[in-house]
Amino acid sequence: MTTTRDLENLLKLSFNGDRDAFEQLYHATSAKLFGIVLRILRNRAQSEDALQDIYVRIWQKAGDFESGRASVITWMATIARNRAIDIVRRQRPEADIDEVDVDTLASTDTVFEEVARAGEVRRLEHCLGGLEDDRQQMVKLAYLEGWSRAELAERFAQPVGTIKTWLHRSLRQLKECLGS
Amino acid sequence: MTDHEDKDMLAAEYVLGTLDARQRDAVNARRGNEPDLEAAIIAWESRLSPLNTHYEAVAPSANLFANIRSRIDAEGIEIARTVPGIADFAALKRKLAIWRLGALGSAAIAAGLLITVFTSDPVLPVADGKFVAVFHRDDTQPAFVMSVDLDTREVTIRPVEATVPEGKTYQLWIVTDETGPQPQSLGLLENVANPTTKQLGQFDPAMLRKATFGISLEPAGGSPTGLPTGPAIHGHLIPVAH
Repeated sequence: MTTTRDLENLLKLSFNGDRDAFEQLYHATSAKLFGIVLRILRNRAQSEDALQDIYVRIWQKAGDFESGRASVITWMATIARNRAIDIVRRQRPEADIDEVDVDTLASTDTVFEEVARAGEVRRLEHCLGGLEDDRQQMVKLAYLEGWSRAELAERFAQPVGTIKTWLHRSLRQLKECLGS
Repeated sequence: MTDHEDKDMLAAEYVLGTLDARQRDAVNARRGNEPDLEAAIIAWESRLSPLNTHYEAVAPSANLFANIRSRIDAEGIEIARTVPGIADFAALKRKLAIWRLGALGSAAIAAGLLITVFTSDPVLPVADGKFVAVFHRDDTQPAFVMSVDLDTREVTIRPVEATVPEGKTYQLWIVTDETGPQPQSLGLLENVANPTTKQLGQFDPAMLRKATFGISLEPAGGSPTGLPTGPAIHGHLIPVAH
């Protein structure tokens, strides 16, 4: 088990050019980041290519990490997710939409940060629970699976403009519920 | 709807992931120049990132890190090959190592300062006191390359992919142990199309060697507060030896 503190130290050493520390950081985090990228890209080979880009970027940007703002793993997950979404927005074939098993969204598997972030996780889940079921599912499909407005429009049989309106309402409601 | 609300929703959808490729590119380009947009993105990342707990870990292929490591090792060589002007002031060694120094003052970080620290490293040959700092923005393509000559106490900043947004300018900063945690301005990079050279005669070489350098984006004329106010580009160092 690698603690949050360990990851910070490894990232700091990586910023100092310590390749072995960076390798340890990779081994401690790559399965988590790969899980994110694979879920969005749904293609193993493409996801492994993306994962390599992501770690090169993490190496280059290690100096950008600010402790106190987010944990190392959250910072890294954000880089990974951003990269995966950039790729999928350019490439995803529309045909893939139906292959997703929406039931997997019900999973509450908390593989990382579950201890440190339990309060935050509960708070967000509580606020998501305040959204209508389809809106909640929409937010999760977008965030977790990388669905676009057009893909959501097809899945929920609504015009894209309506999806945008629903997303904005849902996001505002979440923001208000989270109190920030 | 106000501009502020528009921007907040743009940030929200950016983080949610529902913008199309063109819109995402636009946000990626804007966030470095618009502190309020950047702040909104960070706030939405913080709000939504607890959803990351839904992602399950999946092990990638075992040999992947070797590729990552060789790409990291090749980075300095690649920069030397592709950045015009680098070879003019110093030849990068074939097997040069790239190293960065962290542990910046939190004040510098909080100020959004680009961070590059120079230090001694007994393992690396830094034969003649020459260093290169490479400043990446969001991509692998460097935005600025800075050379430092400790003998002459000159730094030269060469733009690579940097562009200046309307009404903005880049400003160079330094943080040293001796001058405290607050960044000191080294002046503006007046013409981003050409190299800028700054004489740092007021700093002794030992001080420079351990200094932190930064480049921030500021309003035209420079930071109004005397401290970095705008978004930063972060970099790392390459030691240079002939």
